[in-house]
Amino acid sequence: MNTERYTGYTLSELMIVASAREIRDGEVVFAGVGNPLLGALLAQRTHAPNAVIATESGAVGPRPKRLILGIGDCACSENALCVEPLWRLFSDQQRGFVDIGMVGGAQVDRYGNLNSTAIFGSGSYETPASRLPGSGGANDIASSALRTVISIPLQRRRFLERVDYITSPGYLEGGDSRERTGLRQGGSAAVITDKCVFRFHPVTRELMLASVHPGVTVDEVQEQIPWELLTAEHVTETAAPTGEEVRIIRTLDPEQIFTGDGLKDLTFEKYIAMLERSLERMSGVKKELFL
Amino acid sequence: MPLSEAVGTFVKPGVSVAFGGMGGTQCVAHAYEIARQRIGDLTLLCESPAEPADLLIGMGLVRRAEVAWIAYAVAGLSYNYRRCVENKVPRRIELEEYSNYGMSLRFLAGAMGVPFMPTKSFLGSDFLTYNRQLKTMDDPYTGERVVLVPAARPDVALIHCSRADRSGNGQYFGISASAENIARAARHTILTCEKLVDEDLIRRTPNLTLIPGYTVDAVCEVPFACHPWNMAYEYAYDLPFHTEQVKAFRTREGFLAWMDDYCDAAGSWEGYLRRVGYERLMKLRQAEQRFDPGV
Repeated sequence: MNTERYTGYTLSELMIVASAREIRDGEVVFAGVGNPLLGALLAQRTHAPNAVIATESGAVGPRPKRLILGIGDCACSENALCVEPLWRLFSDQQRGFVDIGMVGGAQVDRYGNLNSTAIFGSGSYETPASRLPGSGGANDIASSALRTVISIPLQRRRFLERVDYITSPGYLEGGDSRERTGLRQGGSAAVITDKCVFRFHPVTRELMLASVHPGVTVDEVQEQIPWELLTAEHVTETAAPTGEEVRIIRTLDPEQIFTGDGLKDLTFEKYIAMLERSLERMSGVKKELFL
Repeated sequence: MPLSEAVGTFVKPGVSVAFGGMGGTQCVAHAYEIARQRIGDLTLLCESPAEPADLLIGMGLVRRAEVAWIAYAVAGLSYNYRRCVENKVPRRIELEEYSNYGMSLRFLAGAMGVPFMPTKSFLGSDFLTYNRQLKTMDDPYTGERVVLVPAARPDVALIHCSRADRSGNGQYFGISASAENIARAARHTILTCEKLVDEDLIRRTPNLTLIPGYTVDAVCEVPFACHPWNMAYEYAYDLPFHTEQVKAFRTREGFLAWMDDYCDAAGSWEGYLRRVGYERLMKLRQAEQRFDPGV
């Protein structure tokens, strides 16, 4: 693999690469649509060829020759190992078979609790300023996956002392409050943003700055956090994506549907051509991309 | 039986309805049919519906929703649902929220004929603050804390499968999500399929039958029933169409104009498909079949 220092990447690609690196070889990865799935597909094509991807509709271990466009896309069952009923796959997760879950959300707080239900604003749960789609499987992933990785842009309106609604539990009020509430496994392992990567203090379970992306300072991160930020003893620089990683992401999402603005001018003709090219491209480089 | 007749027979005003599908395998034709017949005052029980929730809520036909998630995923947000919750347009609905697993366990309990299921989900979350149907209890054997979800017993289930015979033995080649439990939990089940086939063909691969005929009240052949969503080995996702649809739904006027055209003026699901265009549908079918590894 080409590992020279490479600078021609976008922030979105950097986030995908950072989340991919959270996945270890051989792990079972429960991934939501968009960047989480792209991260899992990337990991599979780089350092974690034996990672098994699971999607919420019940598909396990897909090896599709195209971009996965949704959790119930045909690509989820294409070349898959297994298709389970939904309750069965989530039960496998509750049982402890899922090593790592990848989720996104609208708000995250000091202890890694995530909100994807509603932004209350000056209103309430019943009449919120902004209604979001809801949990889907996010609550279940955060409750039972052995580690949860959160992807969210670093913005002051998204990082709060306390989220409006805990859709997906992180460490609740910190310390051992997660365990005390009856959750026997899991918890947030990392929060990946467009500026930095956070981890959690082993005792207080507070969000802790672990690395800043190339060119970002600790002060810039603090500016977006409304409380006094805890930093690791040695804040490192996030390793930049390699040229190879970026090339794989662009092969997976050539029209930049998830990584850019590609959806805006995606005509039907362009879309069908993308599917056809994807089949040829991913078949042609099978060894390289599918290991 | 035509879908319009099955819906008219079983989906009465005020009943509770559950739809199969998760992303793909979504019951879109079914949602348009209920909207076309303006059957209202419905209670919706679903995991993560797109059209079945957003269309029916936008048409003012839903009184109560028990769901985990409502949106169009990569294609965008569910603007009717947002207008409903944020502005009470076109009406106020009761909302009872679960997670995907929570809803799937409710269908499992309904399918098993037991009153509830325990889970580790919801602990520590605000679901427990706002959903009074969720109960926490300590396991009488070990003391471990669990959350109970009540069984779901919808009046009518609407589900779509790959193929079925006339008795309603339904088979899946791709994802089925909670179809097997929704069919069993409901009082009446309407099963639609891409292809109606002979019982002999079903008998060759009985392990693919997730829906036994004895759980089914009506069987309808409805090709392309999930458009713009996908059906494994049948047709690819029509993402550009979905993006256009969601763009139209951004405004209330845009949504109503869309429904005038694709629902009412179209007159039937065949009419909807004609508006989409068979040439386009065939391209989606050809695209999907090229990825078929040869089952």
